[in-house]
Amino acid sequence: MYTVFVQTIINGLLLGGVYAAYSAGFSLIFGVMGVVNLAHGELIMLGAFTSYWLFAYFNLDPYLSAPFAMILLFLFGYVVQKYIINRVIGQPHIMSYILTFGLHLMIANIAIKMWTQDFRSITTSYSGANAAIWGLNIPLARLVTFMVALLVTWVLWFFLMRTETGRAIRATAQDKEVARLMGVDIRNIYAITFGLGAAITGLSGSVMSPFVIISPEMGLEYTIIAFCVVVLGGMGYMPGALVGGLVLGVAQSLAATYLNAGVSVAITFIILFIMLVICPKGILGKGSVA
Amino acid sequence: MVLKSFRSILIVMLVCFLSAGFACAAQKAAWKIGVAVSLTGVFGKDGSLVKDAYTLWQETVNSNGGINGAPVELIFYDDKSDPATTAKLTEQLIVSDKVDLLLGGFGSSQLFAASPVAEKYQYPLISGGASSNKLFERGFKYYFSTLGKATEEVRGCVDIFSEVTPKPKTAAIIGADILFTSLACDGFKKYCQKNGIEVIHFELFPMALQDYNSLLMKVKNKKPDVLLVGSHLLVAMKTIKAMKEIDFSPKAVAFSYGPTVPKFVEDLKGDSNYVIAASEWTPNMPYSGKVFGKADDFSQLYIKRFNRRPDYVEAAAAGGAVAQQEVLEELGLKPPLSKENRIKIMEALHKDKFETFYGKIQFGADGANEAHPPVAVQIQSEKLENVFPLEYAEAKILYPFKPWKER
Repeated sequence: MYTVFVQTIINGLLLGGVYAAYSAGFSLIFGVMGVVNLAHGELIMLGAFTSYWLFAYFNLDPYLSAPFAMILLFLFGYVVQKYIINRVIGQPHIMSYILTFGLHLMIANIAIKMWTQDFRSITTSYSGANAAIWGLNIPLARLVTFMVALLVTWVLWFFLMRTETGRAIRATAQDKEVARLMGVDIRNIYAITFGLGAAITGLSGSVMSPFVIISPEMGLEYTIIAFCVVVLGGMGYMPGALVGGLVLGVAQSLAATYLNAGVSVAITFIILFIMLVICPKGILGKGSVA
Repeated sequence: MVLKSFRSILIVMLVCFLSAGFACAAQKAAWKIGVAVSLTGVFGKDGSLVKDAYTLWQETVNSNGGINGAPVELIFYDDKSDPATTAKLTEQLIVSDKVDLLLGGFGSSQLFAASPVAEKYQYPLISGGASSNKLFERGFKYYFSTLGKATEEVRGCVDIFSEVTPKPKTAAIIGADILFTSLACDGFKKYCQKNGIEVIHFELFPMALQDYNSLLMKVKNKKPDVLLVGSHLLVAMKTIKAMKEIDFSPKAVAFSYGPTVPKFVEDLKGDSNYVIAASEWTPNMPYSGKVFGKADDFSQLYIKRFNRRPDYVEAAAAGGAVAQQEVLEELGLKPPLSKENRIKIMEALHKDKFETFYGKIQFGADGANEAHPPVAVQIQSEKLENVFPLEYAEAKILYPFKPWKER
């Protein structure tokens, strides 16, 4: 009984770590630019595909291909922001929804044309490896992803707090007019932020690739979860993604174990609804409400 | 005068030219056959298999001079895995494209939506990619399926356990909560009871479930002898990934659908070994008929064209197309078809028995294929082997499932 409970919590925390890893970029982009990026899941998909192809053609381990995914996605995000999304910054929110939803459709459909509809999976010599400690099971690939989530949150926090660019990003997020007057190149900062958000999202897609099924249309379900995670943790508050992810992961895991799997999906939306009504600033109360 | 005769020459030339054009068009009258099938969305992969099967059938038929001298022209529309869209596109094929005949796409929910439209316009609709019992319980006359009913399709996967020692005593059944897979779960349950296997866990989950680990951990804790999964390809792949991650090794694991799709073995590699799956056809079955020859000939042709072995759903889809073709040949029809002709085709489909590479096809009054034994296949050394029924078995079943840690 006790073991089952502890195992459920472990499963939940590991799942939450995965959620946090792929939601951090969503939170960053929303926090700085106020853009709800509905093409977020596609960034995960592109990260996962980068690893898949490098594995398929060069037999490169998915963890070694993670830096490539980061670099590619940074460039992709930078270009997309600079030439596409920048056009709707400062306009009503609905414009960014429409634009990013369009991007979601475009990227997913181009991916289908290029790579077909196939479901793909990376199977390495260590795939599915797990540790058994005191009768508890810990899947190692998820543990790595969990640690990546912690690392990403910490590095981002450090970057935003301690570096010149980080300060400029925070200044822009707080008041872009004043930041502009202080000599910050707003458009460039936006492009860097989006690139950064895309890079860490690509990284998450890459480290998740050993244990998820990869397909061009996988994105949307991740976007939905990322949205829930970010609302839960507080929109625009960086460590919030970690907290939101863990809470959601544990809640889903408990529901799947003690109720049923159907409830574990429904609970995501129940929590989302309750949070938006009762506590729109997130669990920690540090999110921004637009 | 000169001008007048010049003008009349011109008119004569124009008339000749136009009539030649019409004659040309008349000669080229083709069988327009419409298919609304999922090419994107959750069933995009499965649907594209069905498209490949029809395409190969079309190419084979056309290279042999068409049906009654007329070539086959296929019109595919992508329903994006959305049943409402399937219905809309089926109507579009009939009303705007004015197709002569239809063929079915993939997925029970899709065919459930498309078949009332076909029934309304009196178009026979044969599918090879849908088998939910509910499809056959509506009293439709124009809907046919070359597959058996979903609950019966999985019989082989359970019956096979009476051939192994020690015989499993308990089973856990899980499946995605959509039409076909939930019925497959019912079928698993039914045949478990018939075989004296106790079902100790039964749970349906939504397709949107991202994390299978918690669910399977719960199942693992109940220690069932076998795990039976009502699945499509995606569910089957996610289940294997999760089973390995949580180190869940029951004595056997069987799926209603998924492992027979080549991508399953290609990407899961060794992890796919020992997996059992329901099937209705394998290339080694002793079937043969017109158009494609023997079952194995069909398979060879497939390998030549698409560089892979056909899945049984592809064989079932092509089998349906062949049955429809045989009726057209028997009735000696030519395009375009009238409503009366389509009624005749429907009646012939109900009455006739077809010997094809896919096996015997005989549609019952409800449209289900009644002449097909359920087959079980197992992945052994990353190859699909027919293991049941025993008279067609290519290999002996590997039992029990080798635990993950020992692989």
